[in-house]
Amino acid sequence: MSASSSKFSTTGRSRTGEPLVWLTAVGLTIGVLLSVGLIGLVMYKGFESFWPARLVVVEVRQEGGENSKVAGYLVQERSKRTLEGLVEEEIQLFRGNRELFGEKFVFLDREAIVSQTEEEDLILVERLEGGNVIGRAKALELGGSETLEASAEGFDEKLDELTERGEELRDELREIEKIKIGENSKRVKELRWLEKKGSSPERAEELAGLLAEYEKLDGQRKELREQLEESTFVVEAMDGRELKIPTGELLHVFAANQVGFFGRLKETIRRAWTFVSTDPREANTEGGVYPAIFGTVVMTLVMSLFVTPFGVMAAIYLREYAKQGPLVKAVRISVNNLAGVPSIVFGVFGLAFFIYFLGGVVDDWFFSNSEEPVYKSGGILWASLTLALLTVPVVIVATEEALASVPRGVREAALACGASKWQAIQRVVLPASLPGILTGVILAMARGAGEVAPLMLVGVVKSAPDLPIDAVAPFVHPERQFMHLGFHIYDLGFQSPDSEAAKPMVFATTLLLISIVVVMNLTAIIIRNRLRKKYAVSSF
Amino acid sequence: MTHIIRIGGLAVILAVFGIFFFILKEIIPLFSKAEVVAESVAKTGTSPKVIGVDEWGERPFLYSGGSEIVVLAGEEGARQAVEVPSLAGVEVTAVSYDPVHHRVAVGLADGRVGSFVVKYESVFREGEPRKVDVSVEEEPWYELEAGSGAVRSVSYGDGGSKRLISVVRDEGVAVVQLAQKRSLIGAGKLTRVGETDLSERIRTEVISTVASQNGQAVLMATADGQVHYFLMDAGALDEVQTFQPFEGKPPKRMDYLFGGVSVAMTDESGQQRVFSLFRPEGSNTRLFGQTKEFGPVGEGTPVFASSLRNKSFLCGAGGGLAVRHLTSGATRWEGTAEFEPVAVTIDGKAENFFLAGAEGQVQRFSLHDPHPESGWRAFFGKVWYEGGSEPVHQWQSTGGSDDFEPKLSLVPLIIGSLKGTFYALLFSIPIALLAAVFSAAFLPPAMKRVVKPAMEIMASLPSVVLGFLAGIWLAPLIEDKVPSILLTCLVLPTVALLFGAGWSRVPIQVRHRFEHGREWIVLLPLVLIGGWLAWSLGPVIEKWFFVYTDPSTGKAIADFRLWWPQATGLSFDQRNSLVVGFAMGFAVIPVIFTIAEDALSNVPRTLTAAAAALGASRWQVVRTIFIPVASPGIFSALMIGFGRAVGETMIVVMATGNTPVKEWNIFSGMRTLSANIAVELPEAAPGSTHYRTLFLGALVLFLLTFVLNGVAEVLRQRLREKNKLV
Repeated sequence: MSASSSKFSTTGRSRTGEPLVWLTAVGLTIGVLLSVGLIGLVMYKGFESFWPARLVVVEVRQEGGENSKVAGYLVQERSKRTLEGLVEEEIQLFRGNRELFGEKFVFLDREAIVSQTEEEDLILVERLEGGNVIGRAKALELGGSETLEASAEGFDEKLDELTERGEELRDELREIEKIKIGENSKRVKELRWLEKKGSSPERAEELAGLLAEYEKLDGQRKELREQLEESTFVVEAMDGRELKIPTGELLHVFAANQVGFFGRLKETIRRAWTFVSTDPREANTEGGVYPAIFGTVVMTLVMSLFVTPFGVMAAIYLREYAKQGPLVKAVRISVNNLAGVPSIVFGVFGLAFFIYFLGGVVDDWFFSNSEEPVYKSGGILWASLTLALLTVPVVIVATEEALASVPRGVREAALACGASKWQAIQRVVLPASLPGILTGVILAMARGAGEVAPLMLVGVVKSAPDLPIDAVAPFVHPERQFMHLGFHIYDLGFQSPDSEAAKPMVFATTLLLISIVVVMNLTAIIIRNRLRKKYAVSSF
Repeated sequence: MTHIIRIGGLAVILAVFGIFFFILKEIIPLFSKAEVVAESVAKTGTSPKVIGVDEWGERPFLYSGGSEIVVLAGEEGARQAVEVPSLAGVEVTAVSYDPVHHRVAVGLADGRVGSFVVKYESVFREGEPRKVDVSVEEEPWYELEAGSGAVRSVSYGDGGSKRLISVVRDEGVAVVQLAQKRSLIGAGKLTRVGETDLSERIRTEVISTVASQNGQAVLMATADGQVHYFLMDAGALDEVQTFQPFEGKPPKRMDYLFGGVSVAMTDESGQQRVFSLFRPEGSNTRLFGQTKEFGPVGEGTPVFASSLRNKSFLCGAGGGLAVRHLTSGATRWEGTAEFEPVAVTIDGKAENFFLAGAEGQVQRFSLHDPHPESGWRAFFGKVWYEGGSEPVHQWQSTGGSDDFEPKLSLVPLIIGSLKGTFYALLFSIPIALLAAVFSAAFLPPAMKRVVKPAMEIMASLPSVVLGFLAGIWLAPLIEDKVPSILLTCLVLPTVALLFGAGWSRVPIQVRHRFEHGREWIVLLPLVLIGGWLAWSLGPVIEKWFFVYTDPSTGKAIADFRLWWPQATGLSFDQRNSLVVGFAMGFAVIPVIFTIAEDALSNVPRTLTAAAAALGASRWQVVRTIFIPVASPGIFSALMIGFGRAVGETMIVVMATGNTPVKEWNIFSGMRTLSANIAVELPEAAPGSTHYRTLFLGALVLFLLTFVLNGVAEVLRQRLREKNKLV
């Protein structure tokens, strides 16, 4: 090419500033990479937390002594720079067996590792308390002096049987402790409270009856507990020490090194199912997040119950009834702005208005007999209302847009046929704008499900003993505190005493929350795109 | 139905705006003055020297120097006299009162000093309202060895196990040291440990003295206006400092304020200068320095009483009265009394104060001042807190001890919010705007349908997830990789520019085979390779530029974490603003991208096509048409992004150390307004100053984002209308 054509091209468009075009392209590249990378990271880490790792035996050189062996699974490898400028390579191993070692995790210096082998007979035992156990199955001590060695015939079947039996017993125990004894002591407390104000013979009689029943239940409870501890599963750790686990506490025994890919996949699915369907254990670092899922879903649904009718009503008013002018324009801009007000501000309002003010009024009117505040403390109802306020602008804006996009002709046709204004709205405009309204509601729900900051002020807790909806009358408890997936992440990651042990749980919870929110958002985006197409045709 | 819609719609809109007013309602009490209501006057006929009252403000007593105290009983104006037997037949020449222990210290004409304590006991009897019983507990007398003549001024400093009685006599000045042994059974015996004769050490005539409430220090005011400050050190009284509160004249009163760190010096007009103990710069000992000054209230004998709850105090001279607050330096209330008070006192709950006149009148005033420490200056101005060596902006809402004073400046929090926002925008604006320009100007529609949602989905990520990833995953990851990050930030745009420059040199025949709008895909591998290279070259850069030399061993270590504090004098935290900037950037990028992209996409095609037809290059169209026409939209995108970052809570809570600092260092943390609310509001007592101040923080956030978004929205609407016309 000649020098002149580099300034002015006759064969194509000028290329002045072409490098800058590429600069803008790199912005998009990085943006997309960040977005995809972030979601990928969460998915990878989340799945990783369910995927069963192989168990290894690591032989470590000890200074001035014999080499020691430790069994476990690899958590991470890292090279750390110390402040002295040295690089240390180390691996982190989960070795479990808290009674024996104290710490469940251990860092091993790369240089001190002599060998690393996968041994066939290693097992990973999940139990109710004390964290996982890693070692070799040794024996089953059945009640009395009967012992079944691990090498004996039918050992695995017996172990499975005892594990299942343990689960049944625990269910029975829970039924007695939580429901029967719970109801009993609640009534006893009520009666004692009334007794303080003035006694009556009927009450004293009822109280005596309840106390006798309690004795009986307590006896049953003790009996069940004994049964749970009747037989024990003996596991041998690598250093020869034994761990005795009552079979009533066994949850699952997994021979990690004996199964193939599909076996591990099956285990992954089992773990994922346990994660979503059971209660948390060990200060939330083990078990599942069922109550948090339940809390999140109930809160979001209750929120949408409030936000949908009110948001739609406000939008219809603004678009169809209010006289369009500067005032309505100002109101519209303000409603729009509210969507950008920080969520914590809504939390502050919720705390002051719903809990301290409304809650106080409700307590004064209906619960003046109660010792503790009922509605004057955080609860799922107040949390839902707070989030409803937070998300109502989303619904208003989306609904308004949907109403505005209904072609004028359709509306006028309805009016020309003699429909009243409300009839036209109800029969024609609303059905036509339904997908748009739905989009708004879904977006609001997605926003509500992911918000944590305001909830911290209005009733979310790290561990709620009871669900907001359960089998105890009156079945729905809007005043109860609740667990929430988002808060669970915060609490596990930053408030947990054993943050290392909590990490897989946090990543799993994160994956779950993101899946819920992203699926909701994608649904909304798809509905919106369909809607656009539909009216893109009809409005011309 | 129409009506229901109308009412419902209006109600929702009103409810939404109710938020603002409800928050405002919680804040207003912070800015109101103290309410003082004068109540009836009771007559006792005794001319009091001191007045004291119980904690509940029910039964004030008067002592006039005789051998009894007069106790007023409730509202009826009934009186009750309680004998103090050991005072019978002696001549009292000096009296002072310590409201903390209800102790009256007495100096006699024969030079002896002593004290008695007025005991208040609340008695509950079945079916009767609570009653307060009054009795007197006498304490030992002490003969002084030093000086001669009558006692002119006496002060009893009770620090529990260590106590002082400072005495000024006609001739000579002395301090008696007492000690009480603590034993398991209770308070041990009070013994006299020694006496220090200060007559030789102060050359000029001493007129008044006050002992500190911890029994460790004594102040002596001399006739020439000097105040001598003595401190107990290893059993001996040392003179630490001499200062002059008022030029050339002695203070009329010296009174310790609640906490025992500050002394209010009052002259005859009620003008006050408050001196507090603090370490001046370069000094190791705490000395008195003037921190506050209050104007006169009247003309006459000054009276003074300090609150036992906070740093408020009541002072008066002549008939003028004022309730003032030390820390905020504000006068909470001003008024005039019906008679000239000779003694005043405040009850333990700071809900009542009492005036006693020369003819024995006693008047109760109820005082309601729940938030004395608040005010514009406390929230936004520099405040000289007790113990500090200069006025500062500081946020520290809770502390360990009873006399802890909350420091409620919002300035460090606002700066923290702006700092986090600044670094977030620094990271996100370039990426979001470049991406928006490319997407609007060059991306083929088919590709846009996929790429745009991919960017927008980032907006739906809950901030708790971003915060968690930043705090747990990102912060440790980039802690020792700062040079790598710096290098990556330089390399990526350079790679794109160079590649673009190189590409434009390629013959047109080759370039034509490549469809426009795919540049970003071509760059994908380049960005990955460039990023990886820069990331791994980081340590090399570190070895070249960021070498720290250990001052003690002289060893050179290539570590940015050590180099930064040495080179700049600023700190380096693991959870720092860089991490927050990245995490919050993720939240802000999609917001800015979406709005800016919309604005750029709505630029009328007629304009861009015209420019292209006139021979403008692709970039020239962007520079001369797209950006200028859409600039209001881009600007509003930036403002909405700003609003999003300012109010972000969870990311900041999780990814910083949450220390309220007032600095812009990128490698230190911060505490933002929103994080502060999330962390502290659940613990704050409803209705307290702390609670309301947090509401004020919320209001600041609300207004800030509301106004920003409002301006942005108006700009966007204007733009939309303008583009319609074209």
